[in-house]
Amino acid sequence: MTPEEFAERIKAKFEGVEIKITENKLPHPRKRIWVDVDRDRFKDVVKFLKELDPTAQFSIIIADDRGDKLTAKYHWEMFWEQGESLSVVIGTACPKDDPVLPTITDIFPSTLPYEREVQEFLGIKYEGIPDPRRLFLPDDFPEGIYPLRLDETGVKMVKNAGHPYGRKSK
Amino acid sequence: MNEKVEYWVKIPIGPIHPALEEPEKFIITLDGERIINVDVKLGYNLRGVEWIGLRRNYIHILYLAERMCGICSFSHNHTYARAVEEMAGIEVPERAEYIRVIVGELERIHSHLLNLGVVAHSIGYDTVLHLSWLAREKVMDILEFIGGNRVNYSINMIGGVRRDITEKHRRAILDMIYYYRQEVMPKIEEIFLYDPTVEARLRDSTVIPKRIAIEYSAQGPTARGSGITKDVRYNEKLGVYPDLGVKPVTPKEFTGVIKGDVFDRMVVRVGELWQSMEIIERALDQMPEGKIKAFPKDNMIIFKLKKAEGEGIGRYEAPRGELIHYVRAEPGRDGPAKWKMREPTFPNLFAVARALVGEQLADVPVAIASIDPCLSCTDRVAVIDANTGKKKVLTEVDLLKESIKKTKEINPNIKAKPERVGGVGL
Repeated sequence: MTPEEFAERIKAKFEGVEIKITENKLPHPRKRIWVDVDRDRFKDVVKFLKELDPTAQFSIIIADDRGDKLTAKYHWEMFWEQGESLSVVIGTACPKDDPVLPTITDIFPSTLPYEREVQEFLGIKYEGIPDPRRLFLPDDFPEGIYPLRLDETGVKMVKNAGHPYGRKSK
Repeated sequence: MNEKVEYWVKIPIGPIHPALEEPEKFIITLDGERIINVDVKLGYNLRGVEWIGLRRNYIHILYLAERMCGICSFSHNHTYARAVEEMAGIEVPERAEYIRVIVGELERIHSHLLNLGVVAHSIGYDTVLHLSWLAREKVMDILEFIGGNRVNYSINMIGGVRRDITEKHRRAILDMIYYYRQEVMPKIEEIFLYDPTVEARLRDSTVIPKRIAIEYSAQGPTARGSGITKDVRYNEKLGVYPDLGVKPVTPKEFTGVIKGDVFDRMVVRVGELWQSMEIIERALDQMPEGKIKAFPKDNMIIFKLKKAEGEGIGRYEAPRGELIHYVRAEPGRDGPAKWKMREPTFPNLFAVARALVGEQLADVPVAIASIDPCLSCTDRVAVIDANTGKKKVLTEVDLLKESIKKTKEINPNIKAKPERVGGVGL
């Protein structure tokens, strides 16, 4: 399946979904498909991916603080058995005052550790996540602080925090 | 009458444990000797590289990315450079692509030799550890010869590479390949393909079936050992790799069967050693003349990237599997607005934790070693080496002196005098 065909399939099934196809300048140019979907239909799109290719490989969640909303982009590699694969990025967003996204661990079980990571670092709550414990941060890390947020709930730069080699403050 | 008393015992392996090279914690629930649950806890070496990256510019991050991991340091800054190039639409000269291939494959050789030793060590075959690490010194010397450092060779620059491969490098690399083909590979094949003791220990231990590997998105040799023909260099048509005939290596070509056990993962690594050497030879033959950087001066990169907008993804097959970096730019910023990476050990750890269920406790060290875990990447942390000799702990200054001495031995023409930066204490 070519990227254009894939975009057509998504467009036919889900109306009003933003799709763009980018291409880089490698000797063998590589196309990527970027899909943007609201959070209500996000899970349906993911289910559709699984129908298209049951062996799709999940790679990463890129969660980002964009001012008044939090975005999450998911990357899949599809049709890897047939040589050149399809690189699909599906993005969704949630407002900061209601940071809830649906979990997709029931469709792709490998997303669980990534969702746990996003949950502790950016404070996106995953609805129905089977294992909401912390993964990277220590268990006694204060609640309500999300290290990768850019607003006041993030961590602040501490100058020379007791580091023996730190430069003397000016 | 159906009531059966079960004695479940929880054993923590880690964060600091003799069987583990780096801090990570596995909480293992046991029924007798049989494992019934494995829980993974990470973050004992969390450095917050993403957070630091928000406060650096595009060029600084190249060197920060490299220091995420001491073994796949080329992979990280290569993938990051690819992400930035895709974001800004920079075209890389073809010669630079070939140099990236050569250094990347040299790194794969050293990483796989290291892992062969670690797995042999975890089954108590320490002779192999010492011999394979001795063989690894050769490729480390070549990497030092090309890049100036044993690790952190700083080869990549956005839009090209920083160091050229000249005729003398080419000769040294061909010498190294000859040495490996003649002296090292026959012994390694003897041990990891035909030795009955190794086979008895590694066969059928910690089987990751194909279904589990797909479900948990296992990467790299861990996935290919289970028969998944997935390789980013091949699937992504990355750089000039398609011209060099790269194909996913599965154990079927060597042993005829795919079982997905520890043995198969080691067979894949042995096969990739052969493949890497072939790729290097072909790349050296096909490498065209030309420039190695898209921008002659580094400040031009910052100037161009300051105006860039958009997002890019870089993917690369690191020695352990798919490595992926993401960069998003905002115009007017000289650093990325978002930089995110994912390392192959992260999904592999959870795949192997799932595969350990039902196995024996004694298989844990070898199972964990068999995915070649690089926790430093996963937690994005520093690996610390303490080197004691003659009852004296080497300090940072001593180590710097020693490494300068070694570099001068290899290349007496180097004039630069590296200095220690950032410190006030000594």
